[in-house]
Amino acid sequence: MITVFEAKHIITMNPGNPFATHIAVRDGIILGVGPLEELEGWGPYELDRTFADQVLVPGFVEAHAHVMAGGMLLLPFMGFFDRMRGDGTLAPGIKSYEALIDALRNEESKLTDPNEPLVAVGFDPIYFADQPRLSRHHLDQVSTTRPIFIYHASGHLATVNTAMLDAHHVTRDLEVEGLGRDAEGELDGELREPPAMSLCRSGYSTVQRANNTEEAMWEFARQATNCGITTCTDLGGLSLLSDKFLEPWLSVTKSDHYPLRVAQYNIGAIPGSQADCEAAAARLIEIRRQAHEKLRFPGVKFILDGSIQGFSALLNSPGYFRGDDHGQLLVVPEQLKSMLMPFHSKGVNIHMHCNGNATQELAIQTLDALLRESPWFDHRHTITHAQLTTQAQLRKMAKLGICANFFSNHLWYWGDQHYEITVGPERAHQLEPCASAVREGVPFSVHSDAGVTPLGSLHTLWCAVNRLTPSGRTLGESEKITAYQGLKAVTIDAAYQMHLDHEIGSLEAGKKADIAVLAENPLTVDPHHIRDIQVLGTVLAGQKFPAAGVDWS
Amino acid sequence: MTPYTVIGGYLGAGKTTLIRHLLEHPEGQRLGLLINDFGAINIDAALISNANHNTVELTNGCICCSLSDGFDEALSTLLDFNPRPDHVLVEASGVADVRTLAQYGHHPGLSLSGIIVVIDSETICQQAEDRYVGNTVLRHLLAADLILANKQDLISEQERKDLGLWLSEKSPQSLIWPAQQAALPIEIALGVESRAQEQSMPQLDHASSEHAFAHPTFARWVWQMPYAVTRQALEGFLDHLPSSVIRLKGLIDSDQGVLEIQVVGARHTLRKRSEIQHEGQQLVAIGLNPHFDAESLDRLANDWLASITQA
Repeated sequence: MITVFEAKHIITMNPGNPFATHIAVRDGIILGVGPLEELEGWGPYELDRTFADQVLVPGFVEAHAHVMAGGMLLLPFMGFFDRMRGDGTLAPGIKSYEALIDALRNEESKLTDPNEPLVAVGFDPIYFADQPRLSRHHLDQVSTTRPIFIYHASGHLATVNTAMLDAHHVTRDLEVEGLGRDAEGELDGELREPPAMSLCRSGYSTVQRANNTEEAMWEFARQATNCGITTCTDLGGLSLLSDKFLEPWLSVTKSDHYPLRVAQYNIGAIPGSQADCEAAAARLIEIRRQAHEKLRFPGVKFILDGSIQGFSALLNSPGYFRGDDHGQLLVVPEQLKSMLMPFHSKGVNIHMHCNGNATQELAIQTLDALLRESPWFDHRHTITHAQLTTQAQLRKMAKLGICANFFSNHLWYWGDQHYEITVGPERAHQLEPCASAVREGVPFSVHSDAGVTPLGSLHTLWCAVNRLTPSGRTLGESEKITAYQGLKAVTIDAAYQMHLDHEIGSLEAGKKADIAVLAENPLTVDPHHIRDIQVLGTVLAGQKFPAAGVDWS
Repeated sequence: MTPYTVIGGYLGAGKTTLIRHLLEHPEGQRLGLLINDFGAINIDAALISNANHNTVELTNGCICCSLSDGFDEALSTLLDFNPRPDHVLVEASGVADVRTLAQYGHHPGLSLSGIIVVIDSETICQQAEDRYVGNTVLRHLLAADLILANKQDLISEQERKDLGLWLSEKSPQSLIWPAQQAALPIEIALGVESRAQEQSMPQLDHASSEHAFAHPTFARWVWQMPYAVTRQALEGFLDHLPSSVIRLKGLIDSDQGVLEIQVVGARHTLRKRSEIQHEGQQLVAIGLNPHFDAESLDRLANDWLASITQA
């Protein structure tokens, strides 16, 4: 059976046939894109006019996100910016301690078992820098009896209340360094780094368990649908470590109702540890046999350093603008090549997390050495985050065929902090250098790193086009790209760096009928309005998946 | 309380050699090891009694647990063994933050016995300048309680002196144990008393070394105390310990109940052990020859610890 979808406008991202009004689909595959009369020759069809007033673009491809985006919104969310849950309800941004305490009181009142800890996520102290640090005394205002654990957005810290400290017998005489203390040496409830956080096991383990559940995977996919995403990475999965991480993915993605293609890039080694990468690469090839239409294993992920806002990314000279440099590699440089080689030599695409440009230098040098030893002209290995990529690095990446995946959302979420605190004005203007990548010919995508920031391809595209910060700054006029270049970065070019561009990322004959349904045309609206365009839902392999609150019946 | 030791150091320093040696000669201790990669340790197959995905048990009672599932999980796997290991050791990867890893040693049920950092005496100064790992290497040195300055056979007498000066600047708090082939007696490494008759040291082929390198030796000092002292007196004693003391330990009756004393390098720990009624009432110290001066320790103990507590 053939379905022809009619639209107000179709942007195909196929430069050979860029715009159209109709798209014919059979068995989940596109037969053709064009005017209706050119498609009728395929035979009898049903005309579907659901999208007659809408704009269709290829289903968005998010090349750096984590299932954590789903898991964390199943817990009470205390982030500074609003988040939309999969069911369309809003987790409103928390702008003050009063609002935090109110929100936590509200969550507390929903719990029936008086011993169950209240675990919330997403709090980020960087937005409360002008106030006293969040402490147990704030949280004691929520409850003096129920243990409370607030996991920070960075993943490195938590703040707990007195009842949580008491429940785990965490007392002032413990010498663990990550225990925050006041001037008198009393514990203030802040727990820094895993050795301290794991003292309050009932809270910490809830956070750790939250992501590897089928519920988290469903929530992840529903959020993706709400944003028009049809293929999303889980960039940092654990399926190479154990079947227990793979099985729930196999289970959920086999459901006909699961509205997302998941491209899982599992980690080759736990950051900071050595691992048997030969065995990991062999396992990756083995689990590919279980891949199917909605669960793919295109490559492997390595995490090479920390974050810029955490001062743990490794920066080239002159280093951080303000604050202490905690830059640290999470791999031994001399070992990196031998860790990557088992994957590279098997033709496995490699994505490397590099936030600092010194780290990126190491990644580029290592890939250079790898390619001399084991040539592969079409590897599409990718530096992901790549936030402080220099011009020289772009030139080298272009020569070596290395792709970039820029964390454009940083421009909005931490742009002011980067300008004022972390790297200073000059480098803040050149963060996420998309336009330079265009000039140098480096293929690139832009990403959300969800749940670090919310899923939303129109938002990541908006950031790359407008480069605005919450305070109203424009960061780097010279690095702005056009809406069309931005749209490429969240569709076909994102697919390219996963070796999936022959299947997804554009609307053309023979490719998957994966579509994002938009209320307005992102190429013609005021660029400032792009992130506010309503997403009505997706089509995945020809099947319609409306966004939360949208009725297509 | 299970003692807990972190062994760190950059790639190629000799960590694995040290760990393999401790594993093969645990001197009656059931060591529990958290390690990165079984393959790298290359445990003699004849020593293995049981192995599965994440743990390897040895015929001598030692247990190795892989860190591949994450640190928390591996540590609890190890601590759940029945009986519990006598001592937990962590092999930190070359870039791991040893100071952060050491914090688990302050968790309830564990007691931090020390941070050992193994260095390659020939290359450490260059590594400290490396653009990628320089800061990591310097952080290791700053966190160390005991530095195993390995590969001494590869450097000259003058270089040894220069290295000593350099380390006293980069790692003023730590004790330096010069060695080759990562030879570190278990008494020094873990602060445990060897239960074997012979001091355990790997056999070295000195003839093959270009430079003659004499292995350090250590001496022991024991102070018997069949009475209680004040905590204040103990603290005074510890504050005045000479730097030649590598380790000191003991369980002592005090005006505040039984106190456990642990010294490794500059790290002093005094901890109440209320669950213990009376203990051995002796302090045992070990120090590096030839600087170790038992007589001065006798005098120090006489000054601070000779008077009986007035209850």
